Amino acid sequence: MTLAPAGRPTSPSIPSTELPVLRVRGVSKTYKSRRGDKVANEDINLSVRPGELLALLGPNGAGKTTLLRQIAGQLLPSSGTIEVAGIDMIRHPLAAKEFISVIPQECEPKLNLTVEEHVRFFALLKGAPSATITEYVAGLLRQTGLDAHQRKLIRELSGGLRRRVLIAVALAGPRTRLLLLDEPTTGVDPEARRSVWQLIDGLRNRRIAILLTTHYIEEAEYLADRVAIVNGGRVVAEGTVDEIRDRLPYRGRLEVRGLDHLTPEARVRLDAVERKYPSTFRAGNTERLRVSDPFSPDVIGELVELNALGIVASLAPVSLEDAYLSLVDGSSTEHA
Amino acid sequence: MSVYQTLRRLGIATHMLLVETLRELGIVLGFTIIFPIGILFFLNQLIPPDLRVQVLVGTIMMETALLNINGLAQSLGNDKATRVFDLWVSLPVSPVVYALSNALVLLPFTVLSALITLGVAVVAFHVAISFAVFPLLVGGFVLVWASTLGIGYLVGVYGGTPRQINSTAQIVGIILTFFAPIFYPVSVLPLPLQVVAFAWPLTWGSEFLVAVVHGAGGTALLSGGVLLAYVITWLVLIGSGVRWRQV
Repeated sequence: MTLAPAGRPTSPSIPSTELPVLRVRGVSKTYKSRRGDKVANEDINLSVRPGELLALLGPNGAGKTTLLRQIAGQLLPSSGTIEVAGIDMIRHPLAAKEFISVIPQECEPKLNLTVEEHVRFFALLKGAPSATITEYVAGLLRQTGLDAHQRKLIRELSGGLRRRVLIAVALAGPRTRLLLLDEPTTGVDPEARRSVWQLIDGLRNRRIAILLTTHYIEEAEYLADRVAIVNGGRVVAEGTVDEIRDRLPYRGRLEVRGLDHLTPEARVRLDAVERKYPSTFRAGNTERLRVSDPFSPDVIGELVELNALGIVASLAPVSLEDAYLSLVDGSSTEHA
Repeated sequence: MSVYQTLRRLGIATHMLLVETLRELGIVLGFTIIFPIGILFFLNQLIPPDLRVQVLVGTIMMETALLNINGLAQSLGNDKATRVFDLWVSLPVSPVVYALSNALVLLPFTVLSALITLGVAVVAFHVAISFAVFPLLVGGFVLVWASTLGIGYLVGVYGGTPRQINSTAQIVGIILTFFAPIFYPVSVLPLPLQVVAFAWPLTWGSEFLVAVVHGAGGTALLSGGVLLAYVITWLVLIGSGVRWRQV
């Protein structure tokens, strides 16, 4: 049985023959100091093709932002090469930056400019022609849903709208082929996050390659064509969501809730189930147990039996979150 | 990148920052106009008439240095705090365009302030300056502004938080304005201190402006040349990408 990925419908496939817009090879960064060297990232290799979205997932301090800053030309790698649209970012940063747009993490637009001014000035700085700038900016504001706010000062906008301004700025480069988004929805409310996702998803039509860092697994599942999981400065897994989930040695999980309200009989039964299926996660009154095949008659039988004893239990296929947790904290899944 | 593209981007960046700055015009004008006239009035009560030109020049230099160094450093500090600095670094613009546009926004206020101070000195305090030398003096204000460009930039990019940058800029401004002999002739200093004083661009700026007022062409040429050398040095230093792309 196929386990369908959560999130948006599958995007049109990207021809594998198409040349990558971004090519990162053997990139490492080591900070040298008297106290000893500190490795920020090590031997990173990845590529992103036109119209493709690669999500970098990883815990805090994993090296996601370091990599994005290296690609954006803000931080010089200690070794390795970075090519953007075939141009060497390390040797020719100004030429390569013509093809890049960046939304830095926690960046605040300029508060004393209006929305229209902000987008217009940055569009001009990124090479948009002056002769058609009014129509060009109007189009960007429409595309990002900011047209109703164009005369407002940035300081008057909510956090979600400010993020939209930065996205409009990122889209403003007429030659942009690579978009780098560093945690684009951090600090915005769930509703605004969804609208930013839809906006980012819509960019695929423009054949822009997108590299996005995020803490939100749901965000990666919704948006990404491919996911790279970064931990300790290294890419520990890369592939489609399906490919990464398939790395797990089990296919499903049995989730049990209400552990603090079990009858003695239910407790005995659950103990037996726990001995059969190892626990992967336990917090509060919820526990997750791994099962090799969530659709096998044995497992379904266990589920029915648990439910009959009043235990709130459900079966689900493994998720990207399961794979992520297994990769960044291998200790919990070493024994299938 | 062509010279045209670079100049175009410099113009766009300066325009953008000017629009932004003009929305805070009250604060800028208050600092620019009231501050130097206050200093001038205060000092004029204390000094003999033969030193009035020197004090006028010192007042203008102090205001120019403080406004330029503080303004530039604080702009950079704000950009770093809001991460707009990262946005700039990722744009296809050189650090020279970024630094110059931030400094150019301050130039009209610097020149305006210097001219107002000059006018008040001539009209209200009867400092003897011929109107014929005003164009040369304006050129001098621009040179002084440009010769402190790198100081503000370095304080901005090397400073930490906006508060630290603000404090550092204040300290640097005070050192430059009080330890460089701008309110008194450099010749009154002991020789070792004169050597130190000539390491500051403000000393040369002061020499240039006093020489222009007194019609001393040789000194004006020498000090103007040194100021120009400072400008070129700063542009080369900033253009080399210091703290632009971190290593």
